[in-house]
Amino acid sequence: MYQALFVDTWPWWVGGILIGLLVPALYYFHNTALGVSTGYGNLVKIISRSKLPWLQGEKFADTWGWRVFFIGGMVLGAFVAGLLMGGPILTREMTLFTEVLNWPFLASALYFFSGGLFLGLGARLAGGCTSGHSIHGVANLHKSSIIVTIVFLIFGAIAAALLRVFLLGGAAP
Amino acid sequence: MSRKLFFLAFGFYFGFVLSRVGASDYQVIFRMFTAEDLHLAWVILSAIIVANLGMRYLKVKGNLGREGRPIEIKKKELGRLSIIGAAIFGIGWGMAGACPGTVLAQIGEGKILALFTLSGMLFGTYLYGYLLARWPKIN
Repeated sequence: MYQALFVDTWPWWVGGILIGLLVPALYYFHNTALGVSTGYGNLVKIISRSKLPWLQGEKFADTWGWRVFFIGGMVLGAFVAGLLMGGPILTREMTLFTEVLNWPFLASALYFFSGGLFLGLGARLAGGCTSGHSIHGVANLHKSSIIVTIVFLIFGAIAAALLRVFLLGGAAP
Repeated sequence: MSRKLFFLAFGFYFGFVLSRVGASDYQVIFRMFTAEDLHLAWVILSAIIVANLGMRYLKVKGNLGREGRPIEIKKKELGRLSIIGAAIFGIGWGMAGACPGTVLAQIGEGKILALFTLSGMLFGTYLYGYLLARWPKIN
């Protein structure tokens, strides 16, 4: 029982049901759309004390708004999941990536920083990320979110295919 | 329960589930994009279906939240550069094996490299604000 709940990866449908329920639950309890990436604006405002007009706008008026707490909760939840699983507190591993590539740590760090840069800039231009567009928006059948999600997936597949060919070996390891 | 405590609890739930279902594992995301393992694709698809059914249920019940407050569904409109932004995001998703939600789960699991993904996301978010101040048309 412990093994199935806290150690083994859950079946896809268990995760799907539990994640999907978040969308109506957030509307029911707080009339709020599920979304994570907008909260990064709050974090940037907190960290940089930036005077950028975008961060001074209405959207981020409540600097320490609920989004910051949602983000903090997500880190905590995964931390507890990791503890219960018996995983390491800190690790340099990134499964396939660090298993196949023997890169110096700094090179890997720069690589993930670049990926993050694309994610941060792209999410703001697109108006949301996987949770806001692909789950919340698509579930509500918003055309804009369906278009954005298709583009997410096409370019994610292109990036992964290029990585597979040039970095991570042509065939599956 | 105060609003912020509520979101802390729901964030905890979301991070816990993302971690338990393997969404925070680099190779699970990578192999979804190479179609070698569609576990995560099924997670996302079933989440969309459950969310859709849940929203339908709320609609049937009169679109009222707790204490009878009306529910207003927030719709995201496309900006001029949204499609290009989505392409940039997709490349980042495939590269980093994380999205703005799952990177937080990776950090909770102690993955040091995820801190660099997060730093990149914060820098990218700042960059958006910086570009927006110079070229308001990008919105």
